[in-house]
Amino acid sequence: MKKIINEPAAFVDEFVEGILLAHPDLLKTPADDRRVLVRADAPVAGKVGIVTGGGSGHLPLFKGYVGRGLCDGVAIGNVFSSPSSAQVLEATKAVSGGAGVLYLYGNYGGDVFNFDLATDMAELEGIPTLTAIGRDDVASQPKERSADRRGVAGILFAFKGAGAAAERGDTLEQVAAVAEDIIDNTATMGIGISPTILPTTGKPSFELGDGEMEVGIGIHGEPGFHRGELESADRIAERLTERLVADLGIGSGDRVAVLVNGMGATPLEELYLLFRRVHQLLSEQGITISKNYIGEYATSLEMAGASISLLALNDERLALLNAPAESPFFKEA
Amino acid sequence: MNGNELSIAIRNCLGEFTTYSEELGDLDQALGDGDLGITVSLGAAAAAEALNALPETATPSEVVLACAKAFANANPSTMAALVAGALLAGSRVWGDTPSIEGEQIGRFALAAAESISQRGKSQVGDKTILDAMFPAAEALLATDAGESGLDAAIVAAENGVIASKELQSRRGRASWLQERSIGLQDPGATAYLRFLQSWKATNAPVDASTATPSA
Repeated sequence: MKKIINEPAAFVDEFVEGILLAHPDLLKTPADDRRVLVRADAPVAGKVGIVTGGGSGHLPLFKGYVGRGLCDGVAIGNVFSSPSSAQVLEATKAVSGGAGVLYLYGNYGGDVFNFDLATDMAELEGIPTLTAIGRDDVASQPKERSADRRGVAGILFAFKGAGAAAERGDTLEQVAAVAEDIIDNTATMGIGISPTILPTTGKPSFELGDGEMEVGIGIHGEPGFHRGELESADRIAERLTERLVADLGIGSGDRVAVLVNGMGATPLEELYLLFRRVHQLLSEQGITISKNYIGEYATSLEMAGASISLLALNDERLALLNAPAESPFFKEA
Repeated sequence: MNGNELSIAIRNCLGEFTTYSEELGDLDQALGDGDLGITVSLGAAAAAEALNALPETATPSEVVLACAKAFANANPSTMAALVAGALLAGSRVWGDTPSIEGEQIGRFALAAAESISQRGKSQVGDKTILDAMFPAAEALLATDAGESGLDAAIVAAENGVIASKELQSRRGRASWLQERSIGLQDPGATAYLRFLQSWKATNAPVDASTATPSA
């Protein structure tokens, strides 16, 4: 193992401390344990609060999307493991501005259980909550079981849309409906070409031979549905795009937002190779790309690989994506 | 039973219950990830500590709430979150009543089981804690005045544990074992049985009809 770390057990607390020291104007912690971050101006009176959370090791996912026009708070778990319900509750109380709080996170068992428990505890505190769960990974379950899909990079669209809706003053029910609508219209699929190394164990999360790739991989290195010879960027883009377009049921005349996401150790240049081919393929089918995001949005430490997400757009969704937003990890003019 | 009596009874029971941590951890090792023993011992210790800090005037539902929060935070695991959720659901049944008795205990037990069923998307027969919880709750609710509901619940839970042994796990990590889970005793259902047995060992007799009158 080769990593720039101190004590493996202190990994999460130390990098969170680094984030706080770097961005005191944008973020603060309401708790002593530094596993809860909220917007520096939280709570915003009268605004629906949005709380996300999940395991660490995915920056900028979760904690990177706390800011204006995005989420209001985050509960931070250990690497690849869920935050506790107490941390979720702490974030909830810290962002509650009197209009209720939306829980928006990815579909993983431990996260679901702990957020659900926090729901009950928030109710005791008199804070109404609703929940929307990202479940965009088309490789993890077929369309008819989409409620059981994993949540991966495509949740960015839901953060962006729900965050914009909350910022413009929507009610809790409306913000939740926006999140659900975006989740229902988002599809993601990824490939992995080299594993991540867990800081606590120093071991790779999976083994992949030289010259191999795993298609449909999860952001914790969960197996996909196909392992085979590493293909060209164009062929990978074709595989993923074809599946996403079919899953969303879009075609000529439709508009989409595209997210080409790097898993942590894939150069930006390679992501642009993928985007180039995605653009060609969609254009050939008469599908317009109205918005694009290319870079690292949901990573898995130093895993190499990439995912592509599509969001089918209408005027409302596009307007929400275009609304202003700002966090230490995300900028929208 | 008022809040303070309930709090004392729970602390008595938890002291005995934690002696089963190792057994539960071993059962969980065979079927899951082996952390049930730790969840039980850390959770019980945290709950007892929280109860010690609670004023004697706390209502029964406040007592249970304190246990739920302590249990959930002591060692955040799936089981801890499910149990804490179950306790919250049960406490809602009681509202702010100053004292609980008879049927209210059965209704608490049923609400707790239903909470786990709903949240864990699981039913009786899936080889989980529910195989003991639902029969025990039904036994509590079916008990006539004068009978010991606790005894009936223990028998029902024990039968549930025995029956679940031959089942194949359908939820959680144990479901990955598929048919290899058959024959193994479910750790969650066993934990519930041991909890009831610990209650009886440390607090029986609990029924007013059989209680020794105080001087």
